[in-house]
Amino acid sequence: MAKTGIALILALSVVVVPAGSALSEIKSGSEFLSPELRRQQADETRNPAFFWVEQGRELFSRRPAPDAQACIACHVDPQQKLRGAATRYPQVDAATGKLLNLEGRIEQCRVERQKQPAFGYESPELLSMTAYLASLSRGLPMQVKTDGAANPFFEAGRAFFERRQGQLNLSCQQCHDGLVGQKLRGDTISHGAGTGYPAYRLEWNDVGSLHRRLRACSLGVRATQFDYGSAEYLALELYLAGRAKGLPVETPGLRR
Amino acid sequence: MSFNARITMPAQAKAGEIVEIRVLTRHVMDRGGQSDGKGGTVPRKILNRLTATYAGEPIFRFDMHTGVSANPFVSFTTRAVATGDIVFEWREDGGATYTRTARLTVT
Ligand code: HEC
Ligand code: HEC
Repeated sequence: MAKTGIALILALSVVVVPAGSALSEIKSGSEFLSPELRRQQADETRNPAFFWVEQGRELFSRRPAPDAQACIACHVDPQQKLRGAATRYPQVDAATGKLLNLEGRIEQCRVERQKQPAFGYESPELLSMTAYLASLSRGLPMQVKTDGAANPFFEAGRAFFERRQGQLNLSCQQCHDGLVGQKLRGDTISHGAGTGYPAYRLEWNDVGSLHRRLRACSLGVRATQFDYGSAEYLALELYLAGRAKGLPVETPGLRR
Repeated sequence: MSFNARITMPAQAKAGEIVEIRVLTRHVMDRGGQSDGKGGTVPRKILNRLTATYAGEPIFRFDMHTGVSANPFVSFTTRAVATGDIVFEWREDGGATYTRTARLTVT
């Protein structure tokens, strides 16, 4: 009840959202955290998400079955060779023309190259693997392609971001552009960069994917929650990543 | 991967020095009570105690209850007296135990 009340007040207080935001001013979600949480994120002795990174590293070097190859058999020296990979996702898969995020690429290798059943979105295994591979790009700037084959996806993501939706009739943009820096239920609204995901959220007591965070925002405005890995959220993820171009990857992040 | 622990402390210290020991644990700390879908409820399954001994002597005990978050973190201090193992033991509901050992060299 309290939740709805606060959200409604917020909805009523939204008057105008400035058109054409200055993309250069986009800041990371961690900039809006308390100094303690920000320190805790960077501290491997305090941020529980590093357990997931560790699990991912182990999974990466382990054979999933006696007759199957470990990921590391094809991807030797991942620290070097896969460093930076996460900064280029989501991207259009050349072979299929589909938009793949890092989770999608991992599942593709898992199924087509490793010949194993997919981990499944939001499974601890896929979260660990994604957190591990993204952590190899920590500190490197996001640099997704938004032109060429990626452009229609990027534009679909932008349209989603700008469209008012849900019972509260709010767009992502109204909060993550127009109300940045304002308080909402103990959170400070950020630009919605998403550069720390998969992240450990205190509210979840767990590590979750970016799509889980998006589902939480959709629910927050009483709008349709799309499926994990859905075309809608993939396009949105590309738009967010394009908006966050130049911001460093922070995975594994720590969020409220 | 239901249990894991990350223990952070100096590998060596001078005799008499106070050392800080940080313990981050991976555990869901399931307080139970949810429906199990078969008419019953899921039993509580948390780590209910963490103890540490240093060269065989108990130095720390932390009793945990359902109010403790998942993946709990705790830190404490002890005085370096002699080179020896610090042994950490967690006790889980149902009787399982997990242990980790860290060596402190005292100079
Ligand atoms: C049989 C060899 C093989 C195995 C096993 C394999 N991969 Fe791959 N992987 C490839 C090849 C080849 C590519 C390049 C595909 C492309 O560029 O279209 C690739 C690409 C990738 C990429 C994208 C890299 C980038 O720079 O965009 C990721 C991430 C990845 N694999 C992760 C994994 C994971 C995780 C596993 C284990 C679950 C795995 N791979 C298992 C061969 C393999
Ligand atoms: C009612 C305001 C509101 C709306 C509308 C909203 N969000 Fe959020 N969102 C939040 C709050 C509050 C947080 C947590 C604090 C923050 O911004 O990081 C958050 C967090 C996020 C994050 C994580 C940011 C990070 O880097 O940690 C992303 C990504 C995000 N939202 C995307 C979206 C998208 C996409 C939409 C539209 C579907 C949307 N949000 C709609 C309020 C909102």
